Amino acid sequence: MRLIRLRRAVALAAATVSIAGLVACSTTTGGSSAGGDVPQELAVAVWTPIENLDPHGASSMDNGTQVAAKAIFSPLVRTVGEGKFEGVLAESWQPDEDATEWTFTLRNNVKFSDGTPVTSADVVASFNRLLELKGAMAANFTGHEAKASGTNTVVITAKGPDPALLGKLITFYVTPAAHQNDGWTKPIGSGPFVVERFTPGQSLVLAPNPGYWGGKPALNRLELRSIGEMAAKMTALKTGEVDMTWAVPDDQLPGLKGNPDLVVEKDSGSGVITMWMNSSRKGLKEAAVRRALWQAVDFPTIIKSLFPETGSVADSVVSPNVLGYAPQTPVRYDPVAAKKALDDAGWDYDQTIQAQFSQPQFQQFADAVASDLAKIGVKVEPTQKEAAVFLQDLLALKWDLNIQQLGTAGFDAATNLGRLYTCAAKRTGYCHPDLDDLLAQAGSTSDTAKRQDLYAKANKIIWDDAVGMYPMFVRNLYVRNKSVQGLAITPGLTPDFSTVRIGTGGS
Amino acid sequence: MSAIAARPRLWPVRLRSTPTVAAIATVVLVGYLLVGLIGPLLIAYDPVATSVADRLLPIGAVRADGTVALLGTDGAGRDMLGQLVYGARTSIIIGISVVAACLVVGLAFGTLAGYLAGWTDVAISRLIDILMAFPGILLAIVIAGLLERSMLVVVLALSVAGWVGFARLARGLTLSLRERPWVDAARLIGVPTPVMIIRHIIPFVIGPVTALATTEFAGAVLSEAGLSFLGLGLPSATVSWGQVIANGKDYLDTAWWISALPGLALTGLVVSTGLLGDHLTQRLGTSR
Repeated sequence: MRLIRLRRAVALAAATVSIAGLVACSTTTGGSSAGGDVPQELAVAVWTPIENLDPHGASSMDNGTQVAAKAIFSPLVRTVGEGKFEGVLAESWQPDEDATEWTFTLRNNVKFSDGTPVTSADVVASFNRLLELKGAMAANFTGHEAKASGTNTVVITAKGPDPALLGKLITFYVTPAAHQNDGWTKPIGSGPFVVERFTPGQSLVLAPNPGYWGGKPALNRLELRSIGEMAAKMTALKTGEVDMTWAVPDDQLPGLKGNPDLVVEKDSGSGVITMWMNSSRKGLKEAAVRRALWQAVDFPTIIKSLFPETGSVADSVVSPNVLGYAPQTPVRYDPVAAKKALDDAGWDYDQTIQAQFSQPQFQQFADAVASDLAKIGVKVEPTQKEAAVFLQDLLALKWDLNIQQLGTAGFDAATNLGRLYTCAAKRTGYCHPDLDDLLAQAGSTSDTAKRQDLYAKANKIIWDDAVGMYPMFVRNLYVRNKSVQGLAITPGLTPDFSTVRIGTGGS
Repeated sequence: MSAIAARPRLWPVRLRSTPTVAAIATVVLVGYLLVGLIGPLLIAYDPVATSVADRLLPIGAVRADGTVALLGTDGAGRDMLGQLVYGARTSIIIGISVVAACLVVGLAFGTLAGYLAGWTDVAISRLIDILMAFPGILLAIVIAGLLERSMLVVVLALSVAGWVGFARLARGLTLSLRERPWVDAARLIGVPTPVMIIRHIIPFVIGPVTALATTEFAGAVLSEAGLSFLGLGLPSATVSWGQVIANGKDYLDTAWWISALPGLALTGLVVSTGLLGDHLTQRLGTSR
């Protein structure tokens, strides 16, 4: 009995001491922030969770991995708008006459965070690793080869002319050759930040890289957190638990607008809601049927109601800020004509179209599409799939209608039309020899005007044959606390934190 | 005895299941039953049809076509009243099917284990122990996650662990019943085992089991809502309160009625079933 009492007393004492300690801690931090100097710490709620820091592997194109990679590693070049590029690791570059061989000269003064200089050997090793792993990005570089000539020159050779190479390279990050096979929980890079702690799918804590060639970032601590539940994310934003997030759905805006501490901004967008109709399915083989289905959905009303802030009716397969954009004849909502076209084509009204998507933001959109199609008797079953299953089914063409938001990397149609719509790509079930010719020509021409013209023609074939429905251009909402300053809002959903600093809240 | 009476109450005032409370609970339950049975005949609701122009309308607002949305609309412009009524039907169907399945299986296994004793009892009791050691909802999530979404799968997923309670109760009662004089007498005159169980055991077990069935019903309704909330329950073409609550969770700030109304409906159903169950347990649950 006495022993038990003693134990209890000790436990109680320990608890009291630890609580007192906590209180003491919180008062100290509170005190320092009140003392004029604003702590340069930023907590961000990321859009999609960061599952992996490996910028070359299977998840290399995931938004989470790309956002982390932008902070930790450096690419050769980065984009500064449609068809314009700026060197990062590369100081300059020079394509040969037909854009088959590209020579990149590296900066001299760039070092990895472990102090070793970035050399051409690192670039080549990273490039080879990217190809070997056959991840999501490798399809951009089929038949490409990277060779070092001297310590700071890299030559990338394509099988044929590849004028869009720079656009493809903006998501290619260089990691040290000596550490290619290390674990990727604390990778070494040459970016503005270094990894302090990484918990996959939950949080990534970064510290500034003092040796960053572009100057040490202002932030002393950057935490990228995944908050899965939208309501929790918005609450965290309102209470100041996180200072910034992006890709906020339209429906969350009314709840945020009344808050004087929050600033809402919009990017210029490069995403298009793309709803491929699987042409390899029996019922969807004919272009007339696919066009009729498109015609049967009242997209303007859906967009106005569901995406009043971020959506606008699309008139092309790629967005206006992409090389290869060409406005097409809008598809008018006409259920009567659609019904007639389906009847003429002998549509089987008993079949059910499976509409697959993975992101929850498409649920109501998919429901609305299904509702409009049900009005003319076409049965659609919206099916939300878990991201990995969705991707697997997408590549295996196990769907009738696929809903996703497609961006165009590097603002060049080569990474969208050129990558996805060839017969060989087998991504949409659609195959058209003329389109293949056009895309092949556009992919191997270095004259920009001619490429624009060729992609415009390709655009028209895809649009008129209704390979998919292309209803909406998407812009994205960024919400930040007004103390967060210096954030450049660029299209592409991968914010750059190297220029951010925390102000006093004066905006 | 005095030790039990002296035990302090955790909660100062307890909602006692007096006959009046039980009567009120029964009336509420009958109300739900009527809504579930007749409501769908009176109110037309198509889960596929959306009307995005009328989305997120508050309670009592007027739609673009002039009709009144009595309980508002959800994020896709679907009528909330319709969803509540059709959801009531779904909940009741699921609740009754799960309880029926559990009751039949649990009663059979429980009485067999209790009556036959020996190895049968050991086998069934260990199976029950194994299932009891596993959280029921977790098992349901695994089953519902593996199979394609349908009503049958949900009933199956919830029944797999749900029969255990019935089996334990039936076994315990049977163990004492089989020693009773009338059972001994029947055994002596050579009544075969199946007839024995059906004629002389089950009639005495059925009372307490019915009382348990009401609480199991509430549990089944709640678990189905949970599964549907997680997106593992019914297919999207079937209205389920759990699904509606999940649909509204992004709108708690701006359109509270989407989650709150089905939540209240669910609470009402579960609480009144629980109260009735308490009452029945008091009336029927005492061993004789």
